[in-house]
Amino acid sequence: MLAYEFMQRAFLAGALIGLVAPVLGVYLMLRRQVLMADTLSHVSLAGVAAGSLLGVNPSIGGFVAAVAAALLIERLRGLYRTYAEVPVAIMMTGGLATAVVLMSFGRTLSQSFSSYLFGSIVAVSSTQLWLIGGATVLGLIFFIVFRRPLYTLTFDEETAGISGVPVKALSIAFSVLTGMTVAAAMPVVGVLLVSALLVLPAALALRIAGGFLSAVIGAVGIGLAGIFSGLTVSYVGNTPPGGTIALILLLFLLLGMALQKLRLLWKRKNHEPDKSPKRKEGIESI
Amino acid sequence: MILSSMRDVVFGYADEPVVHQVSLDVHKGEFLGITGPNGTAKTTVLKLLLGLLKPWSGTVELNKEAFGGGKPVIGYVPQHAASFNGGFPSRVIELVRSGCHSRVGLFGRFGLEEERLVRDSLEQVGMWELRRRRIGELSGGQKQRVCIARALVQCPDVLILDEPTTGMDVRSRTELYRLMRHQVRHHGVTVVMVTHGLEEAGRYLDRVVTLERLEAEHPQIAPDMIPSELQPGLSGDRWEME
Repeated sequence: MLAYEFMQRAFLAGALIGLVAPVLGVYLMLRRQVLMADTLSHVSLAGVAAGSLLGVNPSIGGFVAAVAAALLIERLRGLYRTYAEVPVAIMMTGGLATAVVLMSFGRTLSQSFSSYLFGSIVAVSSTQLWLIGGATVLGLIFFIVFRRPLYTLTFDEETAGISGVPVKALSIAFSVLTGMTVAAAMPVVGVLLVSALLVLPAALALRIAGGFLSAVIGAVGIGLAGIFSGLTVSYVGNTPPGGTIALILLLFLLLGMALQKLRLLWKRKNHEPDKSPKRKEGIESI
Repeated sequence: MILSSMRDVVFGYADEPVVHQVSLDVHKGEFLGITGPNGTAKTTVLKLLLGLLKPWSGTVELNKEAFGGGKPVIGYVPQHAASFNGGFPSRVIELVRSGCHSRVGLFGRFGLEEERLVRDSLEQVGMWELRRRRIGELSGGQKQRVCIARALVQCPDVLILDEPTTGMDVRSRTELYRLMRHQVRHHGVTVVMVTHGLEEAGRYLDRVVTLERLEAEHPQIAPDMIPSELQPGLSGDRWEME
């Protein structure tokens, strides 16, 4: 399977996005911004359409649109503090409507759109690979350098601000990174499933992790396992890679939840003292 | 010495003011209580004092001379501290350690001094034994204690507590007041606390400011401040485990 160049590219693209998307997912979940990934992917579709019509590389068009939308959502978040989901809904509607209208201007667009809607990781271009690589490197640097202020920011924005964390600047940088990662993940699983790559690994990791760092590392592990096994199953079974990856990640989540439930029932039945990771000696350092 | 001063502050969230002509001085090294009925914008006044909100009119000034010309370290315990996201993936000690982040910077290592501060803060609020628990497994009162420990670990010049006794039993509340009294007396910390429990807290406070319901043309703050009935011999440097 790995003898084929297109599969090598697919695994490389999957590995790169699998390193950063689940980390971002953990922060998005804890900041209650899960829907942001879906919204930005829809807006980036408008960027793809605009790029195609203007003769710009569609991937770059999608990238620019996602980052601009992320910044706009951050701005609107300040205006709708009580209803955090409102800016996301506004942008999702606006993005999708723009994409539909722009699509109608170009007949060839509709055909190439399916690859953006459902992903085409096995046909990742050099430009897309560079964009994914760039987003991954920037994302990892961001999450490593700012891990401490990000932890405080995620815990509580007010407390973070009073502790000296530059809340506004960090939130803007986080939004830009979210836009970049969503746009980079589009070729892997497509617009419709991009949030699967961010949210599903994080959702499972947050259920089983003992601490913050283990949640982040766990999410990356689950994400990479899902991507690699999804690509393999897709190659063997000749199924669409994006959907296969999303389904496998969903299966991981359901299995994890079921095992957790079984463990809880077994513990209750045997009245065992708690032996979960929380009792383990040694503390993670952020 | 005046540490922070609000003068004729007016502020609102929409088009109507919720804070009207409030003037308030916070003195260095005092234990100040802010009280008043529901809806009198006590939390908003705290946020104005902290600079989290900008007043429509009036001034909020911080006397930097009170801190030797530098920037004060402020420890803050928000009102919603007890309503954490139950799934926040952190243990007690991990969260309290995050209070040291401003001391160690982006890449600094936690040294013995920071570890001592963390242990000391957790012991002061009686949570050292539960340091390896996940935040989501704690009761509301225990979460409040963890937030207080996180504020204490910063060695603050000023502690701002917004209804910190929410979810605490009587004994824990008394221990909290004693601990704050100790911080004021022995460490020179200035403590500003929003509270409804004046009957319990009154004897530990230096001064109480009462906010009144908003009425047009009248300043929202009560003209008289209630003197405390401080009792000698209060120590309260440790919070006993329940």
